[in-house]
Amino acid sequence: MVDMGNRNHAPADDLILSARANFRRKAGAWLGQGILFAITSVAALAVLFIFYFIARDSIPFFASRGFAEFFTDTAWYPSREPGHFGALPIFVGSGLVTLGAVFLAVPLGVAAAVCLSDVLPFSVRQVVKPIIEILAAIPSVAYGFFALVVFAPLLQDAGNKVLMTAWWILAGPTLLLLVMVLGDLSTTWVKNEKHVRAARITATLLIGCVAAYVLVAGARFMGAITIITGTNALNVSVILGIMALPTVVSVSEDALQAAGRELREGSYALGATRAETLCRTILPAASSGILAAAMLGIMRALGETMVVWMASGNAAQIPEPFFNYLMPIRTLTATIAGDMGEADHVTGSDRYHVLFAMGLCLLAFSFICNLIAEWFVARQRRKLGGE
Amino acid sequence: MNNIPTSEFAVRRPPAVSVKTPRNPAQAGNGNQLMADSFSVYYGPFEAVKKVSCAFPVGEVTALIGPSGCGKSTFLRAINRMNDLIPSCHVKGLLYFGGKRIYGPKLDVTVLRRRIGMVFQKPNPFPKSIYDNVAYGPRLHASCSRRDLDERVETSLRKAALWDEVKDRLQANALGLSGGQQQRLCLARALAVNPEVLLMDEPTSALDPKATAAIEDLIDALRGAYTIIIVTHNMQQAARVSDLTAFLYEGSLIEVGATSQLFTNPKEKRTEDYITGRFG
Amino acid sequence: MMRLQTRKLLDRAFAGVGVFAIVLMALALIAILLPIFQRGAGAYVFRATVEHRRQMLDLFERGDEDVLVKEMQKALEARQPVLEALASYRADQSERLNEAIGAADRLAQRDDLLGRRIARAVEQLRHTADLRQQIDRLSRIEQLMRPQSTPDMTDDLDLIRDITSELEVQAAQYGELTERLRQLLGPLPGDEPRILPRFRYGQARWDRALIKQSQLLYIEEWDYSDASAMGRRVLSPRRDLFADTALYPLFEHIENDLEAMLRPRWTFYGRFLTDHSVDAHFFGGIGPEALGTFYLTLGAMLFAVPLGIIAAIYFAEYAKPGRTVSFLRSCVSTLAGVPSIVFGLFGLAFFIYTIRVSPGKSVLAGSLTLGLLILPTVIRAAEEAILAVPREYKEAALALGAGRWRTVLTVILPAALPGILTGTVISMGRAAGETAPIIFTAAVSVGVALQPTEVFTQATPALSWNIYNLATEHEAVDEIRHVQYGMVTTLVGIVLLLNIAAIWMRARISRKLRG
Ligand SMILES: Nc1ncnc2c1ncn2[C@@H]1O[C@H](COP(=O)(O)OP(=O)(O)OP(=O)(O)O)[C@@H](O)[C@H]1O
Ligand SMILES: [Mg+2]
Repeated sequence: MVDMGNRNHAPADDLILSARANFRRKAGAWLGQGILFAITSVAALAVLFIFYFIARDSIPFFASRGFAEFFTDTAWYPSREPGHFGALPIFVGSGLVTLGAVFLAVPLGVAAAVCLSDVLPFSVRQVVKPIIEILAAIPSVAYGFFALVVFAPLLQDAGNKVLMTAWWILAGPTLLLLVMVLGDLSTTWVKNEKHVRAARITATLLIGCVAAYVLVAGARFMGAITIITGTNALNVSVILGIMALPTVVSVSEDALQAAGRELREGSYALGATRAETLCRTILPAASSGILAAAMLGIMRALGETMVVWMASGNAAQIPEPFFNYLMPIRTLTATIAGDMGEADHVTGSDRYHVLFAMGLCLLAFSFICNLIAEWFVARQRRKLGGE
Repeated sequence: MNNIPTSEFAVRRPPAVSVKTPRNPAQAGNGNQLMADSFSVYYGPFEAVKKVSCAFPVGEVTALIGPSGCGKSTFLRAINRMNDLIPSCHVKGLLYFGGKRIYGPKLDVTVLRRRIGMVFQKPNPFPKSIYDNVAYGPRLHASCSRRDLDERVETSLRKAALWDEVKDRLQANALGLSGGQQQRLCLARALAVNPEVLLMDEPTSALDPKATAAIEDLIDALRGAYTIIIVTHNMQQAARVSDLTAFLYEGSLIEVGATSQLFTNPKEKRTEDYITGRFG
Repeated sequence: MMRLQTRKLLDRAFAGVGVFAIVLMALALIAILLPIFQRGAGAYVFRATVEHRRQMLDLFERGDEDVLVKEMQKALEARQPVLEALASYRADQSERLNEAIGAADRLAQRDDLLGRRIARAVEQLRHTADLRQQIDRLSRIEQLMRPQSTPDMTDDLDLIRDITSELEVQAAQYGELTERLRQLLGPLPGDEPRILPRFRYGQARWDRALIKQSQLLYIEEWDYSDASAMGRRVLSPRRDLFADTALYPLFEHIENDLEAMLRPRWTFYGRFLTDHSVDAHFFGGIGPEALGTFYLTLGAMLFAVPLGIIAAIYFAEYAKPGRTVSFLRSCVSTLAGVPSIVFGLFGLAFFIYTIRVSPGKSVLAGSLTLGLLILPTVIRAAEEAILAVPREYKEAALALGAGRWRTVLTVILPAALPGILTGTVISMGRAAGETAPIIFTAAVSVGVALQPTEVFTQATPALSWNIYNLATEHEAVDEIRHVQYGMVTTLVGIVLLLNIAAIWMRARISRKLRG
C-alpha cells in the first residue's frame, strides 16, 4: 500500500487571518465585487443613457413646434422653408407594416411552434431548428435587397398572379376543411340514423358549392388587381413577417414546452385528440407566452429599418383607403435613416430634432412592448409555477 | 437488538481497536480536531441541523447515518462552509476546527477548505485532463515547480489507488474515466492539497459494488493519516469502514458511539429502530 | 357533438397547418437565399472577356502581358470588320456631305455679300473634322440663307436641306449605334481618350456583354397604346434603320462573332473579396467594404464581449436577488429591444456629438454603437452558458480551497467557454450584418480601405451599408447588379458561416454534456 507517513502540511498558512490580512481580504472582495457591479451597471444602464440622449435631442423639436402638428397633421414637408412636420402618415405607415407583418408571422409562427413542440419527431425538429436560426440570422439589409431587387419587380410585373397563387394556397385548403367540418356540424340535429348520411352529403355539397364560389370569386378578384409599384406596404409586410417569424416561433415554442408533459398527458388520458389537447389545454396554458412572442414579433417588425427603407416606397402618405396595402408608405425608421443625411448638416434645426422625436416614439413603443412582453412571460411563469 | 445477527455487519477490525471514545480537543495529538458545540444550521426559518454537539477524533473514520432529509449533508457541508453558497443558509452555535471557530469572523475560508477536503456524492471531476484535475489544488495554493507538481500528482493518484490505471493517459480528459475511477480521481484531487480532514457525502452511492469496495479499501488505507467523516445510507458500509458512528434524526444528533457498540448495542430506541430498518 | 371522424379530420388538419407553416418557412428561406447565392456566385465565377483581363493588367497588374497582347490582337482582328463597316459608312456619309458642300460652294460663287458670307462659312466648315458639326453648320448656312435667297438659289438650298436633314437623322442613329458599340467593345479608334475606366473598356463580363449586344441589335420601345394596362415592351431590330447602308453587315458581325471579339472565358475572380473598387464599383471588387465590416465587427466584439462576459459573471455568480439586480436585468432586456436605428441616433448624439470619440463618423464610433447593440445578446448568451455549468464543478473547486474569483476563472469560465463562444459568434454575425446603427456613425458610400491606425478617426465603407447604397443610390443601379449580389452573398455567407459554426459548436457541446 501507499506510504502514509510523509504527510507534510504547509505550516505557514493559518486558519485565522490577522486583522490586517482580514481587512485586506474583505476590502479586496468588496472592491472586486464593486468593480464587477460598476461594470455591469454601465452595461445595463446604457439603456437609460439612450433614453436620455434621444429625449434630450427631441425636446427642442417639441418645444418649438408643440405636439399637435407632429401627431395629428398629415403634411410631411420637412425640407420646405418653413418646414411642416405632420408625422401622422408616417405613424400610420409604421403601424400598417407592423400589423401586416404580425398578421402573417403570428399565425404561421404559432402553428410552426405547435408543430415543432408537439407534432414533429425529434429528429425532424433537429433539422427544422437551424432553418429558423438561419432565417433569424440573415442580415436585414439582405432581406431589404431581396425585397427591392427580387420581390418588388415580381410584384410589379406579376403581382396579380402572385396574389392569386397565395389565395389558392391559403384559401383552398382552409375552405375545404371548413366545408367538411361545417357539413358535419350542420347535420348533428338529424337524429334518424338512416337519414344522417344523406343529410350530411347534401349539406356538404351545398356548403361546398358556396365555398367553391367564394374561392373562384376571390381568385378572380385577386387576378384583377393591378399593382402600380412593387415597393409598397404589402411587399414590406411580407418580408417583415418572414423576419419576425423566427422570434415568434422560438418564443412561443418555449412557452409551449414550458406547459409541461403532465398537462398534455392529463388531456390525452381523457380521450382528447392532439388538436383538442393543444387547443383546449396547452394553448390556453401557454397563452401568455404566445402573447409575449407576438409582442416581440411586433418589436422586431416595428424597429426594422433597412427593409422598409429600401422597399416601402418611402411616400409619406396615408393610403387610400387606409388599409390599402398596395400603396407605397413611409415608416418612422426609414424616415430617420433617410432624412438624417440631409438634416445632419444643419444641427440644431427642427429637421434634425424631429428625427430624434421619432426615435423617442420608437423607443417608447418598444419599451412598452418590452414591458408587456416581460409581464406576459412573468405571468406565464407564475401560472405554470402553480399559483 | 437480538433480531439482527451481528454477523451481518462485517466489522473488519476487532472491536477493541476500533472502539474509541471521543477525546478532549486539548488532547487531540498532533492534528486538529473538529468539534461541534450546540451547532445548528438553518435554511431560512427551517432548522435543518438542531443543536448538534459532538467531536470527531483525529485520524479516525466517523460515519454519519440517518434517514433521508435528516440533515447529514447539511451538517457535513457546514463543516467546510460549503453552505455559504446557499443564500438562505445560516448557522447558530459553535463549530471548532483545531480550537478555532469555523464561523469566526476572521477565518480564512479558502484555507479552511484546503485543510478540510470534501468528496461529493456524484463524482465531479472538472472537464479537464486527469493531470490538471489533480494538480488543480496544488496550483491554487502554492507555486510549486513542475517536478514537485508531477510528484504531488503521482503520490495523490497512488494514494487513491488510481495511478496504475491512468499513468499512461494523464493528459486524457477526466470525463472519459468510469464512474468509480472518477470518484477515486476526486479523492486524489482532494488528497493532493494535503487536507487534514476528509468529508465524504455518500461517496459510493453512485458506484457499483466493485468500485464501492475499492473506495472502501481506500478509506481503510487512509485511516490514521486523515480524519474522515463519511455520510452513508449503507449500514454495512458504515459498519465496515468506520470507527465511530453518529446517528442523526430530524436534525438532531441522537446517538454517537463506537461503531461496534452502536450497531450491536444502541442506547437509544430510535437508533435501534433505524438500524433494524423499522423506518428511514 | 362532433363525430369522431370529424375530430380526427380536424386533428390531422391541425398537424397539417403546422407542417404547412414550417414548409412555408423553409420555402421562404430557399426563395430568399437561392437567388442571392445563385447570382452572387456570379460575382466570383463568371465568363470574363478579354476586356476583363485587360483591366486586370492595367489596374491591378495581374496576368501575363505577352499572352494578353496576343489575345487582344486576335480580338481586334475579329473586330476589324465592324470597324471597317463603320469607316465605310462614314465615308459614304462624307460623300453625301460633300455633295451638299458642293452645292454650298456653288452658292458661294455669287459675287455679292451673301456669296462672300457663304464662302466664309464653307471655309470654316472645311476646317471642322467632326461630321456632326459639319452637318450642323451646313444646315445653319441653309437656314440663314433661305430668307435672303433669290429664286436661282432654291435648288441648291433645297439640296442642302435635304441632305443635311437626312444626314442629321442618320448621324443621330449612327451616334446611338456607336455609343452602344463603345459600351460593348470599348472606345473606337479615333475617340478622344476618356478618364473614367467605364469608358475605357468594353464589357468585362460576358453576361453583361450579351445584354449590351441585344441593346445594340434591338431598339427597345414602350407601347402605351392600351391605356388600361401598363406599357408593353416592344423590340425592333436596329438594323432596319441601316438597311441598304454600309453598316448593315455590322449587325451580322455583332450578332454572330461577338465571342471572337470579346473572347469570354470562365474565370474565378477570388480577389473580388479583396480588390478595391474601380470607378464606383463598375470594376474591381469589394475589398474596402469587406475590410470595413471586419473592422466594425472586430471593434464591436472587442467592446461587447469583455463587458458582456463580466456582466454575465456578475448576474450569474455574484448578484443577490433584489431590487437593484432585477432593475439591471430589466435594463438589459430593454436594451435588447431598442430598435437598431435608435442605436444609430444615440451613437450620433452621444459618441460623436457629445463625447466626441472622433471628429465625425468613424469606425470607432460605429464599433461602439454596434457593441452596445449586441451587448444584451452577449450578456444573455454568456449568462446562460455560465448557468449551464454544473454546480458540482463549482463546489469541487470551492471545496479544494479555491476562492470565488479563482473558481470563476479556472473552472466556471473554461467550462462555459464553448457556450459563451457560441453566443459570441452569433452576435458577431449580427454585428457584421447590421446597417442602421452605422449609417450615422461609421459608414460612407465611397472610400478606400483603411489602415488599422485610421480606424479611430476615419469613416469606412461597409458591406451592409454599401449593399443599400449600391442598390438604391448608385448612378447605374442596373449595370452593377453583379456587384450588389456579390456583396449580399459575401455578407450573408459570412453571417451564415458564423451561425453554422455556432450551431455546430452547440451540437458538440450538447453531445458532450449528454456523454
Ligand atoms: N438549499 C436548501 N434550501 C432549503 N432547504 C434545504 C436545502 N437543502 C436541504 N434542505 C432541507 O434540509 C433538510 C436536510 O437536508 P439534507 O440534504 O442535509 O439531508 P440529508 O440527510 O443529506 O438527506 P439525504 O440522505 O437524502 O441526502 C431537508 O429537510 C431538506 O429539505
Ligand atoms: Mg445528502
